[in-house]
Amino acid sequence: MIRSLRELWIFFWRDLSIARTYRTVFVLEAVEALFGVAMFFYVARFVDSPQLRHALPQAGSYFAFSLIGFVFLDYLNAAMDTFDHSLTEARDTGTLEHLLVTQTSLPVILAGSAIYPFVITTLRIAVYIAWGAVLFGFPLRDANWLAVAAALLATLLAFSGLGILSASYVLLFKRGNPAKWFLLGVSSVAGGMLFPVSILPDWLQLVARLNPVTYALDAMRAALLSGADIHAVWRPLLVLLLFAAVLLPLSMAVFAWALRRTKTTGTLMHR
Amino acid sequence: MSEAAIHVANLEKSFPPARSGWRAFLQPFEKPTVIALAGISFEVRPGEALALLGANGAGKSTLLRILATLLLPTGGRAQIAGHDAVLDPSAVRRQLGYHAGSDIGFYSRLTGRENLRFFGRLNHLSSAVAAQRIAHLAQQFHLEEALDRQVRTLSSGTVQRLSLARALLHEPRVLLLDEPTRSLDAIAASEFRRFLKSEVLRNGETSLLFASHTLPEVEVLADRIAVIDAGRLLACDTLAALKRTTGAATLEDAFMRLTGRAPQLTLEEAPE
Repeated sequence: MIRSLRELWIFFWRDLSIARTYRTVFVLEAVEALFGVAMFFYVARFVDSPQLRHALPQAGSYFAFSLIGFVFLDYLNAAMDTFDHSLTEARDTGTLEHLLVTQTSLPVILAGSAIYPFVITTLRIAVYIAWGAVLFGFPLRDANWLAVAAALLATLLAFSGLGILSASYVLLFKRGNPAKWFLLGVSSVAGGMLFPVSILPDWLQLVARLNPVTYALDAMRAALLSGADIHAVWRPLLVLLLFAAVLLPLSMAVFAWALRRTKTTGTLMHR
Repeated sequence: MSEAAIHVANLEKSFPPARSGWRAFLQPFEKPTVIALAGISFEVRPGEALALLGANGAGKSTLLRILATLLLPTGGRAQIAGHDAVLDPSAVRRQLGYHAGSDIGFYSRLTGRENLRFFGRLNHLSSAVAAQRIAHLAQQFHLEEALDRQVRTLSSGTVQRLSLARALLHEPRVLLLDEPTRSLDAIAASEFRRFLKSEVLRNGETSLLFASHTLPEVEVLADRIAVIDAGRLLACDTLAALKRTTGAATLEDAFMRLTGRAPQLTLEEAPE
């Protein structure tokens, strides 16, 4: 266990060391976040109305509602991209086979490669919300940070399974990833990102209930905007953990199978 | 448990046929019909250097990649230090160092030291031991200056030596080299061979299995030579014995008599 944690740290250290050689990217991303937040603020001001506020789950501002939806799209994107991007990059730089001949197990290699992107995405979300709070009145006074952390962790675990499934596809078929586009597409409509799922037709609400993004956003909005504690958000957290309990072992098994197939067909290093 | 450093018995490997277009989607599920290895058997003794000599497509890299646990064989057995490459791949990886002979495979934005430390830690070396081994190998391989420069700024020859240092960091019993001088010019290749002979093989503790189609490389480094053609092992013996049994004057001649065709071998002769 301690060895695995050390190995995970080594991967984080590797990615941090590489990122430090591109320092200006951090500054540019912070500036980009500012423009993104400003855009949401003015769109929200343009469409805001008492009826709209009444229709929102926390009866708060549309700016706060949509900003959380938008930054979580980033999280889902990171989850779906991180594993297959790490894999593709390792294959293209020739480091993949050198990683696979070390004594570090495949699950640790996969998890280790995902830590830095998840940390940096979490930081990016924090920067978005910080800009919102400092310049545009995003309400943070009532936030319950313990519940926010729990929601982030549960979201990360649930989304990781999807990401590893996505990497399995790339391992086998090398390019493209229909599952990623399908999930992002479905989530942008039936995930509650920019509007509440309650306005959708019944059949789309059913789709939304099968989508982990819906529960992640429910938990996060309740914790951030209404100050809900862990007890108050136990239902979406439990659903996210159930998604994780099913998806993580399933995705690891699928990835192991895909790796075995590529070792059989000799396509591990093919692009 | 076998006493041999490497034991290969009746090893077979077939691949599914290559496909393009929409049929490529079916390739991962197709039956393997293209034979790459057709029942190869040999052993490498502790401290011995064995060359796999063959033309392009002979099956050399396939064999090395099976031993490195990067490919699964279709049949037969491959063992390193008594551990089966299919049944116990993690034990096999503890015993081997692998160098693929290209100048990629590193994180180009990290320094040589950072790269070596990363791979050393993944091979379960403690931070202190990794630092100690890096310092020792850097001195041995004349890499002191390269250690604190980003890999993208290093020459191909230096990256090759860095790659060899990586393969030896955890003191493996077996070293697998796949065309180790492939991306080097003639002089750098010659220096690399001399360095390999004097610094790696000198101690007699590391067994070496390397694939090559460069004749001087094989003659300089190998104790024995395994001639492979179309996935079959045609002969495995010392250079002198190969010449004697084939009645050839040179290794090139012996190779041509064994395989029955002119090879695409590299005859580059650089100052040794």
